[in-house]
Amino acid sequence: MASTVKYVRVSPNSASLEEARRRVFDFFKTACRSIPTIMEIYNIDDVVTPTQLRSIVASEIRKNSHISNPKVIDMLLFKGTEELNNIVEHSKQRHHILGQYVLGRPEITPDSATKEQGSEYLKNFFRSNYF
Amino acid sequence: MASALRSAILRHIRVPVTHSLALNGSRLASARSMSSHGDDHLDKQTVIDRVLDVVKSFPKVDPSKVTPDVHFQKDLGLDSLDNVEIVMALEEEFKLEIPDKEADKIDSCHLAIEYIHNHPMAS
Repeated sequence: MASTVKYVRVSPNSASLEEARRRVFDFFKTACRSIPTIMEIYNIDDVVTPTQLRSIVASEIRKNSHISNPKVIDMLLFKGTEELNNIVEHSKQRHHILGQYVLGRPEITPDSATKEQGSEYLKNFFRSNYF
Repeated sequence: MASALRSAILRHIRVPVTHSLALNGSRLASARSMSSHGDDHLDKQTVIDRVLDVVKSFPKVDPSKVTPDVHFQKDLGLDSLDNVEIVMALEEEFKLEIPDKEADKIDSCHLAIEYIHNHPMAS
């Protein structure tokens, strides 16, 4: 499974917004298909489900949904592919995955409601140290 | 020694021929014992139930609105990324890999049920 994303080359620029859009969906599919591998190598079955991980990937993509410049989308896709490669090749450790993608998300860890009071700084502190 | 034993055994073994002749085409098709697929083909109601379960468990979907004919984007208010997400969830549920061309066409429960029901490897 790791080999599916291991040898991804940098593709030429997308000619149009439509092509960039299609590439985003392709990237999303590749990410979804590597979720079982990721769950296995980082041993995170007891923390998240594949469905939740899929929603997390989708929400990361949706964060940039306002971007309409194909070149910027290509750049973000490149960064996303790089990140996915790093994750699938086990270049990260378990707490990277958990801290960056799982913890501090209200849909996964709803017990953070008690930490809602306090200043904006404290809220950010409790949420995550990844930006 | 071995050849003598072999011929001695072969001389005494009689295989009933009538039984193997009775294996006509329909029986072969219904029971392919060593085949990895074909026998466990899903019936339509199972496919419908499981597809609807997957769609209902999607966080943004109101489970009461889901029917076998519902359109993901028009009726459930989802966007194209949600659509792909549901298709990926269906892939996981039925252990399929849907090629891009077909995956793009699946935009409603009805089409998803049709595709999965007609897919030989769905399980």
